Amino acid sequence: MKKRLSIVIGSGSILCAASLGLMRALKREGIQVDMSVGCSGGSLYAASIALGWDTETAQSLTVDLYKTDIVEGYTHNLRAAMAGEARFTEASGLVDDKVMLDRLAAAFGEKTFDDTIMPLYVVVTELYSGEAVVFSSGKIVDVTRASSAIPMVFPPVKIGDKLLVDGAVSNPLPIDVAIKEGSDVILAMGFELPTRKRMNSYAAVTSHFNNLYMNNILKSSFAFYNAAHHAELIPVLPAFDRPIGGFDHHQLPYIIEQGERAAAEQIPYLKRLLAESS
Amino acid sequence: MPKTKKPRVALVIGSGSVKCAAALGLWKSLDRAGIPIDMLVGCSGGSLYASTMSLGFTLDECIQYTARLWNKDVTLKRNWNGILGAVFPSLFNFGDTFGMVSDKLMLGRLNQVYGEKTFADTKIPLTIMATDFYSGEMVTLAEGKLVDAIRASIAIPFVWSAHKVGGRTLIDGSASNPMPVDVAIKEGAEVILAMGFQSPLPTQVKSISRYAFHINGIMTNSLYHSNFAFHNAAHHAEIIPIFPEFDRPIRLFDTDQIPYVLDQGEKATEAQIPYIRKLLNI
Amino acid sequence: MEITITPGKIDVLAVSGTIDALTAAEITASFNKHIHDGHPDVVADFSNVEFMSSAGLRAILASVKEARAAGGDFRLACPQPAIDKLLKMAGFHNIVKIFPTVQDALASFGD
Repeated sequence: MKKRLSIVIGSGSILCAASLGLMRALKREGIQVDMSVGCSGGSLYAASIALGWDTETAQSLTVDLYKTDIVEGYTHNLRAAMAGEARFTEASGLVDDKVMLDRLAAAFGEKTFDDTIMPLYVVVTELYSGEAVVFSSGKIVDVTRASSAIPMVFPPVKIGDKLLVDGAVSNPLPIDVAIKEGSDVILAMGFELPTRKRMNSYAAVTSHFNNLYMNNILKSSFAFYNAAHHAELIPVLPAFDRPIGGFDHHQLPYIIEQGERAAAEQIPYLKRLLAESS
Repeated sequence: MPKTKKPRVALVIGSGSVKCAAALGLWKSLDRAGIPIDMLVGCSGGSLYASTMSLGFTLDECIQYTARLWNKDVTLKRNWNGILGAVFPSLFNFGDTFGMVSDKLMLGRLNQVYGEKTFADTKIPLTIMATDFYSGEMVTLAEGKLVDAIRASIAIPFVWSAHKVGGRTLIDGSASNPMPVDVAIKEGAEVILAMGFQSPLPTQVKSISRYAFHINGIMTNSLYHSNFAFHNAAHHAEIIPIFPEFDRPIRLFDTDQIPYVLDQGEKATEAQIPYIRKLLNI
Repeated sequence: MEITITPGKIDVLAVSGTIDALTAAEITASFNKHIHDGHPDVVADFSNVEFMSSAGLRAILASVKEARAAGGDFRLACPQPAIDKLLKMAGFHNIVKIFPTVQDALASFGD
């Protein structure tokens, strides 16, 4: 019996582009993926894998996202919200999401989960209960937009009767979905988010706290998934030797290269595993 | 479990602010059943109760002391410098470790109860969880002054400022390990009573600071769940979860609900007593 | 603790009583024997499970992994509210398919 190979791409905003390097390495070896799971920034790449895009297409459609204009107005709006001059509710974000939505629409258009060539799952967080919600149907634009709704920065997204935010808040590297839906070998690409040494604004402290929590959730859920999976779980963890900001667009080639390097290290083992019959 | 030796029993009280008072109800129930505790671990609000129990106070003393520590005066005094600093960082000297509530009263009350007492003064071994503010790593505190360890463990993000202990800047243990069952396992406990709580989540958010706090609550819950899942799946020790049920929302500063919370803690523990007795052969 | 087997296209194993440190070894042994007897697909009926502890959770997890390693799946049906809450807390809802009725669980294997 052929082993079922799943790929899981965790949250990490711009760092998730490293998964393009992973895709490149898999393609070179002719390794077929059977299921794709993504969270937050990773959901864009998980979707492009599931849609069967080649690496070049995925790269050209997704890397444009991380230009600084998608967060225009952030500082000004933060000041206004803190001073109480602007209303801020659970449906608010500090950034108008029009630019981001336009870019996602340019990439995914009207495509739905039905257009994928393999099962695709995207993890999002329900804002009121804080519970993880797994999407396997709907418009890809809406679901990836919801999964990447960084708290406070982008407004949450309403799908059906649910108000949804960033999947990273509940399940930053959703290996559990791949386990539950039936996988043997799981390739999981995850990222630790940067924490800070100095903070001089409320926004900096907030993002530091968020990243610190998400890193701890990542580690403890990863520990559980390792204990819970019956077969092999292979982490692919790209290492970066320099700090990369959320919108360091010019670092993209480096990020992708590090992703490919991290994947290449695991390829020999992966090939042996897949060759072995189960 | 070896039948010859009596298993070591640990009580772990997870984070949960006011809800942690349920630990006193648990204690009442264990006391009545004659079940001794060999080790205490506390995180955040749980550290207050774990410390008081470990010092060997009577149940009534514990109730009295902890009521003094966590009440409306202590939790509502705003730190205006912190709040204004968040809005106008350059004018009000915004620092890394700001908090919205002043910690003067809290520290004063902690000093009244624990004074100069250290971990060496406890009758039952005690460990308190905190988190390194910069790296996010968990930090276990088992020596030094109790006041400092508790103050660090309850430094809830955005509410109270971080606290320096031995050169490290520490915050709320729930940012790394909201229900530190693993600490009890590492210390050799075979039976672990784990009392844990969900963070309350509001149904409406009206300001950006509330929003930040709400997201924080979600992440604490996510971490609490994933930690608990891992400890259950991975360790050999028997973990007996004690999750009190509350029929009303209990928020961070609802200190007037403490008697109700205590009752619910007692109720949840009663349900587990027969099994604990069987395990311990008593 | 007792396990009753209802044979069918997919066998249903109904557990009644407690799944804890005192019964865990027996449960794992029964489930694993069944799985290796050529029944890697299993539905566990939990409607009469009264109590579960961490040793019980580990016993069930071991059988879930055993079934999957044998090419099948282990699915759970109708846990009582208190047990369901514990299964949620312990992450089982994330990694195991859990259904409100035995019928739903059996039907899910048709996918």
